[in-house]
Amino acid sequence: MWSRRTFIAEYSKSELQEQHFDSIFGQLWLILNPLLLSGVYYLLIVIIRGSSDSTRYAHLTASLFLFYLIANSLSSGVKSVTTGQKLILNTAFPRMMLPISAVVVAVTKFLPTLGVFLVIRTLIGLPVTWQMLWAIPVLLITILLALGLAIAISCINVYFRDIASFLPYLTRTLLYLSPILYEASTMIPKVRKFEVFNPLFPILDSWSRTMVHGQAPAMSSVLQALAWAIGIFLFGTYFFLSREREFAVRL
Amino acid sequence: MPSVSNSHKSGDIAVSVRDLSLTYTTAIDRKPTLKSRAKSLGRGTKQTRVVNALSHVNLDVEYGHVLGVIGANGAGKSTMMRVIAGILPPTEGRVEVFGKVSTLLALGVGFNPAMSGRKNVYLGGLAAGMSRGEIDDHFEEIADFSELGDAIDAPMRTYSSGMYARLAFSVAATTRPDILIVDEALSTGDAKFKEKSLNRMKELRGDDRALILVSHAMLTLRDICNDVAWIHKGKLVKRGNPDEVIDAYQEFLQVGKSAAIDEDV
Repeated sequence: MWSRRTFIAEYSKSELQEQHFDSIFGQLWLILNPLLLSGVYYLLIVIIRGSSDSTRYAHLTASLFLFYLIANSLSSGVKSVTTGQKLILNTAFPRMMLPISAVVVAVTKFLPTLGVFLVIRTLIGLPVTWQMLWAIPVLLITILLALGLAIAISCINVYFRDIASFLPYLTRTLLYLSPILYEASTMIPKVRKFEVFNPLFPILDSWSRTMVHGQAPAMSSVLQALAWAIGIFLFGTYFFLSREREFAVRL
Repeated sequence: MPSVSNSHKSGDIAVSVRDLSLTYTTAIDRKPTLKSRAKSLGRGTKQTRVVNALSHVNLDVEYGHVLGVIGANGAGKSTMMRVIAGILPPTEGRVEVFGKVSTLLALGVGFNPAMSGRKNVYLGGLAAGMSRGEIDDHFEEIADFSELGDAIDAPMRTYSSGMYARLAFSVAATTRPDILIVDEALSTGDAKFKEKSLNRMKELRGDDRALILVSHAMLTLRDICNDVAWIHKGKLVKRGNPDEVIDAYQEFLQVGKSAAIDEDV
């Protein structure tokens, strides 16, 4: 797989080009889109709660941007195998390169928004600490989880083509179940117990703690996130590899 | 012209197919959905069907030879080419390939119509396991051979089917594979390009490479092949001298020597 990295790089690049992200307005939109989204959700929070502060806005943007890394991996990963039909029917190559490219695209789209968040963070004057370096392992765990999810869903889509239309509801549900519009620390303990079943919960909680509050995340959260990510990644790759041989007759 | 040296001698085995059978399960719907699966739950309607595409096929291809493959539509010719190319795994039997295979299957290279011909050539090559440098080395030759001119940088959706075929053949033939599989891919090219590609195939044959040519153009097969295999309903019916096998096939089809079957490549 590593020897084919040029293909993955080239394929994601052309995918991005196709979505016009090589033009100035395309890149501007890449930043504008999540900013507008966070603005809308912030408005929602202010209306529902009646008040809010800048730290809450920072939490919202940081979590939302990371959430969109996963959501984008899912939405471009889901159709990666079915749109690669021609290539699959004509060439023998590791099919897993297709969903992996989708995740590479999602990560490329995420990086500028990370820059935007760092600017927001500086403007608000949040503390800068060494603990923020925890963001790196948390981000790596997120990418592993995104890979697992994209690989699994691209394979499921071969058998059930309507998964792609069902997906927006799934991501929307995940968005509301995850600590994005609210903070994990403000949740009722009774409800929070159930968050063990949400793979995004420990990731987003840890991310907010490091990136927004400049604290080290709870070790239990990081380990829980890692366990989820490894579990989903192994499940996804096993499922994909056991099925990829028959993609050519299923497409 | 950059030429990849060929380490194989004429007469060496290039592809060996032993007792190959292929059975696969595929969806009946063109697009299987969760909805249709849920609907059929209570009724017990079948969602998939089993296809016996190939049964007990034995076939050898030697270096320096051209094998023609004929048969009616749906006989299993393309499926067999996909198995040899390693795209489909065989259910039973063995397929051994001694060398680098380049395939030119019915669909051509075009794999993302929104991208230019150049991009598609690079992506197709990278997917097939070539390095960027190797593609760089061949690109000029590919572009020249295809005679597409400036169109090479136009999106592939603007190409005519003939242009698709030209580019696809150029990629497959100029990268100088040990084994080249051409599957009915040239029928849309114009007369001049057909002649050019035929000459290229003869050149490759003379260079001791192995070719497998799936075609309905009997005259071309009689001209270029050393051997012809006739496949019917997944079984190898006859294999041997081109004239004999083609005559038998035409007698079977009861079409005789009409012009329609001699023209396309």
